[in-house]
Amino acid sequence: MIPLVPTLETERLILRAPNEGDFEADVAFYASERSHGFGGPLSREQTWRNLATVLGHWIIRGYGFWAVDEKSTGLYCGHVGLWSPEGWPEPEIGWAVQAQAEGRGIAFEAALKARDYAYDKLGWSTAISSIVPGNTRSIALVRRMGATFENHYEHPSYGQMEIWRHPTSDALKETA
Amino acid sequence: MISIAGIPTLETARLVLRGPIAGDAQAFMAFYRSKRSNMAGGPLEDRESWQAFAADFGHWALLGFGRFIVTLKGNDEPIGLAGHYAPHSRPEKEVGWVLLDTANEGQGYATEAAQRCIDHAWQVLGWDTFVSYINSKNDASTRLAERLGAVQDANAPQPNTDKPCLVYRHPRPEMAT
Repeated sequence: MIPLVPTLETERLILRAPNEGDFEADVAFYASERSHGFGGPLSREQTWRNLATVLGHWIIRGYGFWAVDEKSTGLYCGHVGLWSPEGWPEPEIGWAVQAQAEGRGIAFEAALKARDYAYDKLGWSTAISSIVPGNTRSIALVRRMGATFENHYEHPSYGQMEIWRHPTSDALKETA
Repeated sequence: MISIAGIPTLETARLVLRGPIAGDAQAFMAFYRSKRSNMAGGPLEDRESWQAFAADFGHWALLGFGRFIVTLKGNDEPIGLAGHYAPHSRPEKEVGWVLLDTANEGQGYATEAAQRCIDHAWQVLGWDTFVSYINSKNDASTRLAERLGAVQDANAPQPNTDKPCLVYRHPRPEMAT
């Protein structure tokens, strides 16, 4: 009964449907300080519910977060994908990568693949990433993707967020 | 529209209990905007109820059972939710029900849907025991639980110790298979 989630592949990564096997790693991530820019911290109960919401997002919207595995080690690295729940300012490219996957460009590689999927398969013309101010790693990543700071907005739960605007689909085609 | 394969459709004399579809989100959010939802954890902002609705799909995907959308035969519009609920960390499995609109109360629809789900829990899901968690102010639901033969279990663990509720346990039917 897993919703239809396409499996994607990059040089080093597999992007696949999230599943219950990821749960303990997700619990550890959402219990840690790392999760503060990503809606955390969350209890075990909330983390399970978050996993359920991630799967439901795929069914309702037709896109969502992938679970990312490193091919060479099989290491589960976290969630990267496309996110637009009710009340979100615009469809976004998002990531929440675990500590063990940090510093090797894994989120960057997966986020580029997710953006290509949004532009090439879903027909998005533009995309944002919303980032908690001060999340310097995510800001460095989004800059590396060619995005530029657009403005701030106030999320009712997460507080102030920065909106970063990715190059449009057309702009990427021109530079390709 | 993407749906989850494998969600069964249950029928009763007057109702169809079907899997949720994306288009049910509007009815779900409208219910959680209403005062009526305060017996079911509401009211909620749309962004919160949308995530809860999405989580209902994920519950089906992760556990293979979940909450059905209750509709009247011949009309696919949601009038309620009923089904099998066991999100992580809950002490016990639950059969739950809610009608979205007061207009549909008093006609036995919730009883009919709940009874079908109880039968399904024993006969198809093979559950050993299960409860219904009911807000102590929700007289309509406590009466319904009692009509279904459920008995209050004061010793049962609470799902949310900050907000105690009534726990009704459903008796195993002698002929359950």
